[in-house]
Amino acid sequence: MNSSTAGSVASPPSSGATQDVVLETRSLSKDYRDFWGRRKVRALKGLNLEVRRGEIFGLLGPNGSGKSTTIKLMLGLLFPTTGHALAFGKDATDVSNKERIGYLPEESYLYKFLNAEETLDFYGRLFNMSADRRRQRVNELIQMVGLDWAKRRQLKEYSKGMTRRIGLAQALINDPELILLDEPTSGLDPIGTREMKDLILELRKQGKTVLMCSHLLADVQDVCDRIAILHQGELKELGRVDSLLTVQDVTQMRTTKLSKEAEDEIRAVVARHGGEVLGVENPTTTLEDLFLNIVRDSEARPGRRAQEKV
Amino acid sequence: MPIEYEILPFLDWLLPTVGERYGALLQFAASFAILATLGLLVWYLFAAIRLGPSEGFYAVAKVVFNAFSQDLPGFSLRRTFALARLAIQESVRKRVFVAFIVFVIVLLFANWFLDDNNPNPGRLYLGLVMTTSNYLLLVLTLFLSAFSLPTDIKNRTIYTIVTKPVRPSEIVLGRVIGFASVGTAMLALMCVTSYFFVLRGLNHTHEIAATEMAPTGEPGANSWKGRTSFDAHHRHEEVIIENGQGVTNLEMGHWHQVTVEGEGDQRRFVVGPHQGMLRARVPVYGKLGFLDRAGQPAAEGISVGDEWVYRSYIEGKTQSTAIWTFRGVVEPKFPNGLPMEINLGVFRTHKGNIEQTVLGELFIVNPNERAKFRRSEVIPFSSREFEPLEMFLKREINGVDARGKLVPVDLFRDLTDNGALEIHIRCAEPGQYFGMAQRDVFLKASDRTFMMNFLKGHISIWLQMLMVTSLGVMFSTFLTGPVAMLGTFASIVLGYFSNFVVKVFDGMFQGPDALKRFVRELFGIPEEAGVPGGGPLESFVRMLRQANQTSDLELGIAQRPAEYLDVGFMLVVRLFVQLLPDFKKFDNSAYVTYGIDVEPNLLAAQIVTALSFVLVTSLIGYFFLKTRELAA
Repeated sequence: MNSSTAGSVASPPSSGATQDVVLETRSLSKDYRDFWGRRKVRALKGLNLEVRRGEIFGLLGPNGSGKSTTIKLMLGLLFPTTGHALAFGKDATDVSNKERIGYLPEESYLYKFLNAEETLDFYGRLFNMSADRRRQRVNELIQMVGLDWAKRRQLKEYSKGMTRRIGLAQALINDPELILLDEPTSGLDPIGTREMKDLILELRKQGKTVLMCSHLLADVQDVCDRIAILHQGELKELGRVDSLLTVQDVTQMRTTKLSKEAEDEIRAVVARHGGEVLGVENPTTTLEDLFLNIVRDSEARPGRRAQEKV
Repeated sequence: MPIEYEILPFLDWLLPTVGERYGALLQFAASFAILATLGLLVWYLFAAIRLGPSEGFYAVAKVVFNAFSQDLPGFSLRRTFALARLAIQESVRKRVFVAFIVFVIVLLFANWFLDDNNPNPGRLYLGLVMTTSNYLLLVLTLFLSAFSLPTDIKNRTIYTIVTKPVRPSEIVLGRVIGFASVGTAMLALMCVTSYFFVLRGLNHTHEIAATEMAPTGEPGANSWKGRTSFDAHHRHEEVIIENGQGVTNLEMGHWHQVTVEGEGDQRRFVVGPHQGMLRARVPVYGKLGFLDRAGQPAAEGISVGDEWVYRSYIEGKTQSTAIWTFRGVVEPKFPNGLPMEINLGVFRTHKGNIEQTVLGELFIVNPNERAKFRRSEVIPFSSREFEPLEMFLKREINGVDARGKLVPVDLFRDLTDNGALEIHIRCAEPGQYFGMAQRDVFLKASDRTFMMNFLKGHISIWLQMLMVTSLGVMFSTFLTGPVAMLGTFASIVLGYFSNFVVKVFDGMFQGPDALKRFVRELFGIPEEAGVPGGGPLESFVRMLRQANQTSDLELGIAQRPAEYLDVGFMLVVRLFVQLLPDFKKFDNSAYVTYGIDVEPNLLAAQIVTALSFVLVTSLIGYFFLKTRELAA
């Protein structure tokens, strides 16, 4: 299959619609140094990218490619070696930016001795929210992440998925404009993953901007508008998901079930037009859809057992 | 009770006095300015090495500018208290109150190791509870404050905080307030428990059997003499009752009032509760001056060779005199006369009768040379070396007129000059010496309540706890937990022994060497000052070689490098010690133990010093946290 994809070269930073740019990096580099100041690792090399308002931006790459480093630089958890990281047009370390940002770290990093209500209440206080508003928001978020039944249990008793959901709730406590999610689906089962992805899409519908980084490609493909691919600290690819993934020189057609004669006739028509039929087969669903359907069915009809399909 | 430093009125301590002292406020401001300047210079140096001169300057300037333009205006008490609340929740859920249980266990088993026959059980009990509370609380806050932030950084829970609009100052102050609150709650529990422990432990009474009492005076005078029963490990051998009311003698630091109830066969001798063990005497101090053995004014008394130079001495049976000048001696303050307390040291050049005390004599002098009556009669007394001697100078006293005759005078009318009065003390025995310091003799204006004084003693513990907390949090902003704990502990030890550290430093620069002379002049070190033995390296070598501190140490070619290393190290320690508060001066437990009221001036100065220290350490912690890469 000769496939070529469009939008394969990383485009230079746009200076046009800067008012729509929420996050921006300009030649951003980060070196990790030892105690004596000698460079140990060059984690990021001259990164230029922009994240626009209202989009879901995916940052992909294998382990150690610089994804988490980029997010941490944007949040001021790390300081750039060279270059700049800007949020809402201001330096990333500007503390006023944090009023408008929510962050879910790659592990939830919450205080295990607090319960869910106390956790969200604590983070709400950090935004100077009034008591009433805080109480309302805490209840909303606990309902949203489906942990009402466990809200009084200390987080040390939570499973990984539950902790992840509270982590997401604390990221949304201030109803932020910009949400940074570091490996949001990490540790979640397929149902949790689907819910997380639905939530991310819902955030976009609300006009929020989401930057998520992940090495789980399927998750990114499902939700992101644009992606950047990092490898060894360098930007290798940048563009819209649909553009990057569209195979331009192949036409795909989906029909209802056809007879053998109809298939042969179609092959002849394609050949007459100078084309070539590359394959005719029944399409497959995704394993995720299969799993979700089975789980829903099981919840609707408990006790039914499966038979192996050969 | 020795008080080795002067306690000034609060405003005199705080504000400058032209020609005399700079005042604490000016000293704090100067120290702060010097520390800030040096800190910025060192910071710039490090930044310039890493980033280059101009980038380094920009990096430092940006942080300082942001501190004033963003962090200061945006500081939020609500966020600070939220973080403080988190610190409290963390401490409580990690069972910090186990420390209180340890405290209770110590008290419960105290009787196993307290000396039943101690001559002053009041001091023993008070010393136990104050010391235990102090050390337990300091250890607790040391661990809490030093480990909390490094644990957050290691576990990365700090990420979810610093990615909110939280200023580093709020993180630092939030922890200080939070752990101080935990410490305050613990201290309050310890204070209440200690108070009732002391009351209960000292509570006792005696009985007096009728057979132990013999009538004195005329028949029907209701006067008696006898002794009490043996209870609580002691007996009062003298009970003197006149007209139905009396007192026991002073035994184990206390006495009892005794009353007679009933008559004939129904007569009972009722012993009241103990008195004198739990007190808060309010001393009025005078200014001490001396006359030498020829009767001439002298700056100080004689040194008898004691290493501890707290007291100087007057020679017995000479004109050598110690003179205390008191002011504000007026009738409303001292109705009926002058209660006073004398704490003298005694130096014997010959043993004499060792079971007898050394005799002294005391008289009052009117400072006004033109007064009709210049002095009172001589009042003899027996010195007490290890216990305070309480005397009461009655208002109606005998004065000496111009002809040398004794006539009855009024102490306030005839022997004071606008409230000023001198008390002269001499030693009456040849070959013996009395030692005294300014605060060894004082007038007792009144007693304040013991409970209030007990509370004031605990306030000083609270202040120490506050400073340790702020030190621990400051160190934890840039060090790991164990190292922060060691740093805080070292600071406490250096704070307690700051005088000794200065003496070691001063001792290293004695001698004719030109460089040493230069350093002496630079630091204003007097000649012959300090202690011999050198710094830590030299002391270590002396230890290995079993050489004493004063002998010459020949190290050959290693001599100079060792000396320079020691000098370099001790210079840093000496400068560091300058920045630390003297923790000894925050220890008011001796006041409580010895039953002397903690002066409000002292407490006010301690509070201001502690709060200033907390402010400075919080600022230092803020800058360290602000410039730290938390995710590195």
